[in-house]
Amino acid sequence: MSTVTVKIPTPLRPITAGQTEVKIEGNTVGEILRKLDSQYKGFGERVLDDGKSVKRFINVFINEDNIRDKKDLDTEVKNGDTLSILPSIAGGN
Amino acid sequence: MIKIPAPLLREIYDHTEASYPNECCGLLIGTIDKDKNHTVHTFRKCKNLNQERARDRYDMDPLDMLRAEREFENSPWDIIGIYHSHPDHPSRASQTDTDRAWPDYSYVIVSVQKGVVASAQSWVLNDTEKRFYEEPLLTEGESK
Repeated sequence: MSTVTVKIPTPLRPITAGQTEVKIEGNTVGEILRKLDSQYKGFGERVLDDGKSVKRFINVFINEDNIRDKKDLDTEVKNGDTLSILPSIAGGN
Repeated sequence: MIKIPAPLLREIYDHTEASYPNECCGLLIGTIDKDKNHTVHTFRKCKNLNQERARDRYDMDPLDMLRAEREFENSPWDIIGIYHSHPDHPSRASQTDTDRAWPDYSYVIVSVQKGVVASAQSWVLNDTEKRFYEEPLLTEGESK
């Protein structure tokens, strides 16, 4: 098991009781995110599609790498990694 | 309410005018108090990845957002909002803006008419109603 620091973006902080980061143990990104969901009600609903993939308008980085360029939720994590959950920002007139 | 010091707002305007006729975007960095008032202390320009419809759409480069998050992770400041421009369109939030909005961020929209800033408004999402509401934009103590 590795301990990972998960960075929580402003729009998701009401779910994590205002915490800006949370330390979670796990072996893969999916495991980490599912643990966060069991710890914080409503987290998975905002981040995951049926627990099987990351929602389209969310980007998840493990250190500097987008998990979509790796093995998505199966991306393995190492002790001390930083996992960033970032809203995808877009719009227009 | 969102407060942006006048010199910073002018720099944001400069970015929107320099990007005309395309849309530009960036991140507002600062603090949010217990009443959800936003105070901007600095900002970071971001890349608009939307090449095909750069005149009326923006897709912020997620790497720019990651860099900003890392840059301010050990500071009291944080990403508190987004700004973007509407070239030759009003500074009202569009349906596209609403569809892709997130709660708790301020969305500052700058209207650039024929290359010159015409107006700016700030919007916040009501997540339950999925609707934007305008919030007062204060600069040097005056609402705009």
